[in-house]
Order: sequence, then structure tokens, then C-alpha cells
Amino acid sequence: MIVDFHRENPNAARRISFIEFDSLPFVPIPKPLTDVVLPPSSRSGSSPLVGASPSKRASQLMSSPKAGPSQNAAFHLGIAFPSLVIGRLLLELTSLPALVKDNQQLSSALTSYSNLQEGIYLFRNGVDPYSGGSFRHSPLYLSLFATILPVTGAGSSILWTLCDALGAWALVNIWRARQRVLSSQRDTLVTAVYLLNPYIFLPNLAHSTSSFENTLMLFSLMFASQGRVSAALLSFALLVHLSLSSIVILTPLLLLLLLNPISRLASPKPLRSFGVDFKSLIPYVGEFILYISALTLASTSVSGGWAWIPQTWGASLTLPDLTPNTGLWWYFFTEMFDHFRPFFLMVFSVHLVIYIAPICIKFQYDPLYAAFLLIGILGTFKAYPTLSDPGLFLSMIAIFPEIYPYFRHPIVTALLHLHAALLMPLFNHLWLNQGTGNANFYYASTLVFACSNGAALVDCIWAGLRIAIGADNEGYAVAQE
Amino acid sequence: MHVLSTILSLLLLYLSTWAWAVDVSQEDAVRGFFGNSTTSGSGHTNNWAVLVCASRYWFNYRHMANALGMYRTVKRLGIPDSNIILMLADDASCNSRNKFPGSVYANRGRHLDLYGDNIEVDYRGYEVTVENFIRVLTGRMDPSVPRSKRLLTDDRSNVFVYMTGHGGNEFLKFQDNEEISAFDIADAFEQMYQKKRYNEIFFMIDTCQANTMYSKFYSPNILATGSSKLGENSYSYENDNDIGVAVIDAYTHYVLEYMESINKTSHKTMADLFDTYDVKKINSHPGVRSDLFKRPLDSALITDFFGGVSQVEVSPPPPPPPPPEEEEESLSDVQAPIEGEGERKPPRHQKQQQRVHASALSQTSPDAGTWRQLRAWGSIAILGCLVGWVGLRK
Repeated sequence: MIVDFHRENPNAARRISFIEFDSLPFVPIPKPLTDVVLPPSSRSGSSPLVGASPSKRASQLMSSPKAGPSQNAAFHLGIAFPSLVIGRLLLELTSLPALVKDNQQLSSALTSYSNLQEGIYLFRNGVDPYSGGSFRHSPLYLSLFATILPVTGAGSSILWTLCDALGAWALVNIWRARQRVLSSQRDTLVTAVYLLNPYIFLPNLAHSTSSFENTLMLFSLMFASQGRVSAALLSFALLVHLSLSSIVILTPLLLLLLLNPISRLASPKPLRSFGVDFKSLIPYVGEFILYISALTLASTSVSGGWAWIPQTWGASLTLPDLTPNTGLWWYFFTEMFDHFRPFFLMVFSVHLVIYIAPICIKFQYDPLYAAFLLIGILGTFKAYPTLSDPGLFLSMIAIFPEIYPYFRHPIVTALLHLHAALLMPLFNHLWLNQGTGNANFYYASTLVFACSNGAALVDCIWAGLRIAIGADNEGYAVAQE
Repeated sequence: MHVLSTILSLLLLYLSTWAWAVDVSQEDAVRGFFGNSTTSGSGHTNNWAVLVCASRYWFNYRHMANALGMYRTVKRLGIPDSNIILMLADDASCNSRNKFPGSVYANRGRHLDLYGDNIEVDYRGYEVTVENFIRVLTGRMDPSVPRSKRLLTDDRSNVFVYMTGHGGNEFLKFQDNEEISAFDIADAFEQMYQKKRYNEIFFMIDTCQANTMYSKFYSPNILATGSSKLGENSYSYENDNDIGVAVIDAYTHYVLEYMESINKTSHKTMADLFDTYDVKKINSHPGVRSDLFKRPLDSALITDFFGGVSQVEVSPPPPPPPPPEEEEESLSDVQAPIEGEGERKPPRHQKQQQRVHASALSQTSPDAGTWRQLRAWGSIAILGCLVGWVGLRK
């Protein structure tokens, strides 16, 4: 029989020293929440990579994305995406933006639209915006909005809607890169999850600049997933300029540039076994530092000095502004004695950083998932969060459908989120508008919100690890060494 | 050699006379402005008033009404609150025995409320002491004392000092526990003279045996008047039946009544005021001391002391400043020697000043604005280069 086989397939390899399982045309078992079913006929063009030579670089394994299964998916997206964007534009034209503009849950001291407008006005009238205490945006905003971008009126509404639309497009591309398809039936769902998420579209209606940060984060992940190193590093450098805390995503981003975004959660392997060359990270880091320096130069030139550094980047580290927001820092530091303040500022900042190493080590085989988890950590523990930071984390769950069966308590998490989503605005209103509540009400609701974010994080980490063990079987259990 | 030096010295002398002439002409211009033919030649530029009521308790209501009446008159004639030191030893308007709280009246029938809601009492209650009064006059104060409690006069200030209360032979009672003597006031005025704190002082006092209080002055340029002579009492004018006490003293009443006919443009003189003293009506002999006062009484206007009338000269509006290209011309104009041509001088100097000022202003703003725009576009250029480079790389 083997002889028959070789007679019929003269090209087949005689001796097999190894087979890259990733290149074999396995048809994945359709999971209930995933629709990507690639019929074997569409894979006829590629052949499995069977080689008798030493291992090649993992990047060569990334074959070109396959053609989509049907036209329906593209058609659906072609309708859904514009309609969502138009719906958002229509919302912008109502009075809702004016209502939510100054809500501190939707925009923080670093991202507030009113502060941005004030900074642009001061800049245009010759006053240094960083000499006061209200303008904490990056000088790049100054240069962009004082020259080419519109900062008021319909122009700004279109700009913010465009920003969210680009973010949704980037998320869809990340999804497609992870699945290695040109389009899938799930694209519409991913787009809708991003554009219809209230945690994302409410800050966008309030014209908070955290929308730009989300879009840049998604862009850097998208470029890294597509293998475009410079674009990923440049958009990440821009993001770090706008929000210093995002630097924690650097490590998984670099790992993503080394590897690829495809889902390997079910088959964890050490990074070494992919044959990646860690030395190739050094030029990436060098390029990143170059971009950061160039942007620092641009920022310093537009702001005419170095005062912007303590006002923008320093704000995340020294917490000068204690306006209430949805985060955990403000209340803690309102009741902090002055002599403990530096110590606890250090503790809170280091707290963000300590998650990088464990998550990147544990999920070294799937850096996109590591980035996703660190985005969740940022959203929960950042210094000046808005609703859009945990919102990005929640929307990004949409691109990891493989973990859904492995969630332990999704309903509890969802209910906690519902709880927080109802109580936080209520207590905020009770405290600040009506005056019948006090800060403790609102603080308690932010604690519930942090609890719900933490529950979601813990569940995602659990599911991401559990998927490697596989479905439960009777009779035996798999233990991890 | 000798001839040369003599010629040189004569030339210098001649030139110096020019300088004197210029000097003198400038002084003449200043003197002419402040003391021209329509005024009385007093040479003052600002007016101050120190109004003191030195007695407390409800039954001395009339003394507080005296001081408040003078305050109202002096304010009406133009002295601002910042130039008035009002010292009231007690609060009659908010006294618990006042049937009309918040108000002080100076006539029977209560036709005019002197207290109102716009008065500024600088020293009140127990702050009205002999020490504070002398400190106010001489200006020797702790640095922490606020400006509103200071007499910030200079040597061009006309000061009107009015005192009322209970007094006697060369003394005035303060607060029922201390007294100030005529020598003290005379020495205080001498200190003011030495420190050049007044141009002219008009001293008016309404107490018993008031004329003795000004008998000890020895500084120049003081005009003084009092309500009664040695051995005489000063009497109150009338009671109000609902307030229950005397509401005004006779001397002050008649002075205030006369002052009602004076306004800011009035040319009535001090002689006219003193001529209205009627011994029968006042029931005492008011006195005047003018030997220290250099000007004749019939040329000293009432508004020299009671009002804050200022000399105003309306000059023609200067021409609008030219655009900044003419900056060099204007600078050279300023540096050129200014000839002593009388009325051309002020507008020309103003014009040049305005030209330089406008050009200096306009030089900073467009430059800074363009530099800012350059910086913004420069950073946009850096950003665009980065994006373009990255876009071209892969």
C-alpha cells in the first residue's frame, strides 16, 4: 500500500524528519461561536511543509491568507460597517455629546475634551498651555489640532467618529490576521461589538481623546499582526506619547512582531521551540527608541520647552489631579497622608509593571493574548482611566472565541458588569449632581467595577490556560507539569 | 589763551542762562497749571479730611451726628473715602437705645439719614484714642496698619481737621478716659510741617471753650476756627423727640446749613463762611485764627478745604500712531533736542511716545505668533516624515 501511494504521488517525501503541524490542512472542529469553516477545497493550493532540513524560522510558516468562504460575509460587513458609522454620526449630531461632554467617567483629566479645547485656545493666544494645571494632553495634540485637525463643531464629530471607525476596522483586521483569512462571517460581529459597546461609544461621544488611544493601540496590534514592524512600532510610539501607561504593552508587542498572531492557546510551547531569534528584537527596540525620540523632538518643538513632560507623562506617575474617575487611584490618594504619597505612588505604578513578566512568560506562545490580558490590566489599574479602557478589553474578547467554552463564571462576570454599569452613573449623579450621596457611594461603585473587570480578567486568564488542557473527559484528567 | 578761556566761560554762562530760562519756564508752566487765575492760588493738588468724634455714649449722639454731617458734606463736595479718615468713638446708629437702628439724624423730624449704607468709618469705638489720632496726623504707624487708616498726605495736600466732643481750656476729652491738649495738636501739626505732610491745614473744632484748642499752633499755613471762646460753653441746637437726645450742635448746625449752599463749582471764600457766624444764633462766640495763614481769607475758597476739586485742562487728542515702518524716524525724532516751544511740546512728545509704544507692541505679537505656527507646522512635518517613511518601508 505504501508502494501504491508512492507510485501515485511521486512528489511525496520519502523520508519525513519532521512535520510542522501548523501547516497541515487540519479542518478545525466548528465551535458553536465560531463560524470559520474552511472547506478543504479552498486549501488545495498549498502543500504541507514537510522538510528534511533543520528548523526554519517561524515567520516563514506564515502562509498567505486564504480566500473567504463566501461572499455573504463581505456583503454583511459592507452593509453593517457603514450603517454603524452613519448611526454614530447621527448620534453625534444630537444633543447627547453636549450632555456627556464633562462627565468624569467618560473622560479623565488626561483626556478631557474641554481641557483640549482650552489648551488649543491658550496655544493660539500665545500662552504656554503647560504653565497651568489643566492641560495634560500631549503636545502632539497641540500641533495637530492647532494646525490641521478641527477641534470644534461638526469637524470634530466627524473626526472622532472616523477614529472609532478606524479602530473597529483595525480590530477586524486583527481578527482576520489571527484567523489567517481575508474575511469571515464573524467580521460583522466583531465590528458591532466594538462600535456598539457603550463603554467605547459614550467616551467617543464625549469627544474624549481616549478614543485616539484605543485606535492607536488597535493599530499597533494590527500592524504587528500583519508583520509590518515599522508601522507597528510607530503607532505604538505615538500611543506611548499620548498615554505613558501603555508602555506595558511593549513586551507582548515585540513578541508579536517576532511570532505571529495566530491562536496557539490550545498548544502552548516555549518560545525557543519556535526558533525565534531574540537578537532580532534589538533593532526593533532601537527603532522604537528612535521613533520615541523623534516624537519627543516634535513635542518639545511645538511646546517650546520641556514643561510638557512632567505635565503629561508625569501626571500618570505623580497623580496631581484627583478628579474622580472610574479608576482606583483617586479615592485612595485623596485620603493619603502626604508623607506616604511617594511610597504609594511608587507601589501603584510598580503594580502596573509587575504583571508584564508573568503574563508574557506564561503566554509566550500567543503574544496577542498576552497583549489582550495586559490591556485588561491597564483598563483596571491605570492611573487615569476612562470607560474606554476596560471597554477595549471587553470588546477584544470578541476576537478570542476559542476560549468561550472554558470560561468558569461568565454569567457572574456579566452580572457584575451590569451591576457596575447601572450603579456607577447613578452614584455619580447622586453625589455630584443631586448632592444626596457622597463620595463613598461612587467609590463603592468603582470598586464593584474594578471587581467586575478583575473577574473578567481572571476568567480570561483561566480560559486561556484551560484551553490548552482541552475538554473534560471522563475517566482521566490532564495535569500540567 | 586767556581770551579763549574768558570767551568760553562767557559762552557757558550764556548757555546756562538758557537752561535757567528753560527751567523757569517749565516751573512757570507747572505753577500756571495748578495755580492759574481762576483758582485761589493755594497750590494744592489733593484734599484730605480728618473728622474726629471723640466722645462715646448715647447721650453724646450729637457729637457723632456732627462728625457724620461733616463727613457727608465733605464727600458731597468731592473728597473720596480714600482721602477721609473718619473716627467715631461710639456707634450711635446700632446702639440698642436707638429707636431708628442703622441711622443717624441731625435734625428734628429726621429728614436726612446721615448714616445710610455707604459710609466708611476708619477708626471706630475704642480705636479712637489720642495715640491713634496723633499717629494718624504724624504718619508714625506700624507697617501692618492698612492704607485706609493712614493719612497719606504730601506737601501739596490741603487737610481739613474737624474735631468735636467735650472739651475745656486747651483740652479735648477722648472716650471719657483721656484727653488731648492743645500743645499735643500743635506739636503734631509741627511734625506734619517738618515732614512736609500738608500744604495748608484748616482746623475746625466744636467743643466747649473750643477757641483755646487752636491757641497753641505755631506752624505755618494753618487756618483755625472754633465754636466758643475761653470760658464759654458750646450748646446743642435741637432735640428730636423720638430719638430722645440732642441731635446736633449749634455751631456745626449753622456751618452745615451754610455748606448746603455750596457745591463743587462754588467760589465762596472762607471769609464768606466766617461772615455767617451769628453769635446770637450759635449762643457762643466762634473764633478764627488766621495769623498763620498766608493767603488772605477772601481769596481762600471754601472748596480749597471742604471739597476735592481738581484742576483739569483738556488737551486736544493726539494724532493716531503711524504704522511700525516709521519706527526709525520716530526714534530719531525723540533723540533730537526738544525745543522749548510752549504748547507744541506736549502733543509732539505724546505722539512720539505713542509711536514708539505702538511699534514696540506690534513687534512682539506677529513675530511670536508666526514663530508658534512655525513650531506647530515643524512638528507636523516631523510627524508626517515619520509616517511617510514608515509607509514606504514595507
